[in-house]
Amino acid sequence: MMRRRAIATLAALTLALLALGGCASQGISIRSVPAETPAADNAAAAANAAAFAEAVASANAMPPGAPISKDVVVATDEQPAPPLTAADAPPMYTYDPWERLNRFTYRFNARFDDVLFLPVVNVYKRVPSPVRTGIHNFFGNLGEIDSVINYTLQWRLKFGLRSLERLVINSTIGIGGLIDVATKLKLPGAPSGFATTLSKWGMHPGPYLVLPLLGPSTLRDGIGFTADYATLYGINVFNLYRGDQSWGLGVVNAVDQRANVNFRYYSTGSPFEYETIRFLYVRKRLIEDEGLHAKARDVRKKPPADAPAGK
Amino acid sequence: MIKGAGFLKQGVLTVLLSAASFAISAQTITAPPVYGPATGLADSAALRATVFGTPPQDMAPLPEKVPLSEITVSLPWRLPVPDVLWFNSKLRVWFSAQKAPAPLAIIISGTGSDGNTTKLQVLRAALYGAGYHVLTMPSPTFPGFIVSSSSTGVAGDLMQDGHDLYGAMQEIVAHLPRKVHITDIDLLGYSLGGANAAIVKSIDSTEGKLKIHRVVMINPPVSLFSSVGRLDKLFTAYVGSGDAGVEQLYRRLYAQLANLYRASERVQIDENFMLGAAAATLKTDAEFSAAISLTFRADLVNMFFCGDLYAKTGVVVDPAHPPKVGDSLEETQRILRGKPFAEYFTRVFAPYYLQHRAGSTSASLIADSRLDIIGDALRNNADYYAQTNKDDLILDQRELTWLQDTLGPRIVVYDHGGHLGTVGDRHQVADMLDMLAGRWPRVSQ
Repeated sequence: MMRRRAIATLAALTLALLALGGCASQGISIRSVPAETPAADNAAAAANAAAFAEAVASANAMPPGAPISKDVVVATDEQPAPPLTAADAPPMYTYDPWERLNRFTYRFNARFDDVLFLPVVNVYKRVPSPVRTGIHNFFGNLGEIDSVINYTLQWRLKFGLRSLERLVINSTIGIGGLIDVATKLKLPGAPSGFATTLSKWGMHPGPYLVLPLLGPSTLRDGIGFTADYATLYGINVFNLYRGDQSWGLGVVNAVDQRANVNFRYYSTGSPFEYETIRFLYVRKRLIEDEGLHAKARDVRKKPPADAPAGK
Repeated sequence: MIKGAGFLKQGVLTVLLSAASFAISAQTITAPPVYGPATGLADSAALRATVFGTPPQDMAPLPEKVPLSEITVSLPWRLPVPDVLWFNSKLRVWFSAQKAPAPLAIIISGTGSDGNTTKLQVLRAALYGAGYHVLTMPSPTFPGFIVSSSSTGVAGDLMQDGHDLYGAMQEIVAHLPRKVHITDIDLLGYSLGGANAAIVKSIDSTEGKLKIHRVVMINPPVSLFSSVGRLDKLFTAYVGSGDAGVEQLYRRLYAQLANLYRASERVQIDENFMLGAAAATLKTDAEFSAAISLTFRADLVNMFFCGDLYAKTGVVVDPAHPPKVGDSLEETQRILRGKPFAEYFTRVFAPYYLQHRAGSTSASLIADSRLDIIGDALRNNADYYAQTNKDDLILDQRELTWLQDTLGPRIVVYDHGGHLGTVGDRHQVADMLDMLAGRWPRVSQ
């Protein structure tokens, strides 16, 4: 019953927005977007500035190559890998054999954003921010289940324990995950998933892949995302994922995620936006892989030339 | 001329750029007061002010809330939209309306930038707070403007760009909601947008369709060519010539970021890591210079591509077989990265305008890119104002002197701030508001 109503509502909304989009293609369209909050933004900038000044001070104080944050390296028996040099950097070229398909998916995502996703997100942003934070925390808390499993699979038990503590604290004191009490108790979130686990197990990123609705990814990260979802679906906490309400919950989850990603397709206006995003995404993931593998290996192995997305 | 963006936000070229522009966009960040020896074209303080912008504690008081609408408009004179630029078919601008009758302030963005940059957000907030309706527009060198609003597709000619901007402004103002009551129109612009604003006013003085009242130019160039030439020189000195320099810089940065990340024991790259990474990678004047010139080069690459495509000059785009939506542009981007503005001029801009503007020569085109084409108006009309910094790296001493001689008491020159490093500063905002309201020069106390 509820599912059918949700589908009907969504379909009506889509049609209305498509119609509006049609009107907009003639002449002029004026859409109101969430108001800006300059005073608060500047206050936040001041806090950032203080953090940056601190980072500069510690960057200046430490010898080159030393850690940059305070939550730094724990002493381990393993030999740290030798620092990377410029010669170790992957080339700027990115492995993208499915480029044509990817580009069309990218364009689809942009249009979907324009016609449906962002208008809905803009309405959602009128919901008072404490409520939105609660919703965001709720989904983040469900994600901790996946993090616990994956940290265990990666044999990073310290992080797994942290996620477990977060899950327990936030689910109880934090009223079902609505309030992130754990972060206030100096247990900040550190989510993980199957993408990281697969990387830890030695799987290369594979080709670049643009996922429908989700955006930039690689083959490995796409598989990881699917496995994350399958895990939560399989465990099906409180029947959230398979009951009648799961459909509506999925929509809220998607809107919450989109509302928290400050990216707008084609806002650069650049003909090279696809290339730029691909470059940044793959480099970001490669660097994260470097971090993941740094302590595990003492001899740096070169991956095969055709395998990873950076090569 | 500098545009900012977050790590996964908008227009960035390399990982360095993203680190640097994270810093720029967040505009967050206080420059450590290092006044070292001058290197290259600007001294240390100027470079840092350019990258970091106005420190938050020096900002003018800004309102709690600014309402905002996004306006998209199809312009009747738009040229056929090239396949690969389909997403730019409409002009996008941003508008904040007062409830009561009020003057309208229109602000034009800097080189290559859209109509909602961080700098524009700050100026919008200041002007809205002072009681103006505010309309913010992209630069005529922004690809979104070139495709939707340019009548040539070849950006960079002050007069031509001015006419296109003027036309677009009329369309938008005519279609604003009826309840928006406009009592007067003033124009502002920062960086190249400052020069654009002055030109638009001079066009309006003869055509009279908008009755633009006052203009404030913020850090304007005097000569497009010499300003851009300075940024290109910075690029050659601190990145290297051609694409090899970019690749080398990227490799060094990748290794540096990877080492920092490995040492940090984080589980993912987040904004806090980027903040720390920016602090660790942006230390020397050379690094600041590289960040500034790369940001500019990323904008140039877009403008170059559009111009080549529209003018059919065949530098990187085969006029007979222009690229289609699914085609890879990676190689094109790589080639353009290595090309300075001089090459845009000789291979795209000049060939196009020499053919389309009767009696023009290379020399006349360069002369047309100077603000002194409206020198008389700037000198004699009391409605033109400017704000700049003594150490603005897009001006040399002669150009600054020319601005001061031409505008007389209608220019204010701050001692520090580099390029755009005083935007939003309480003195800059107070002076800007006085200029717009006709309270300038202030009667000395």
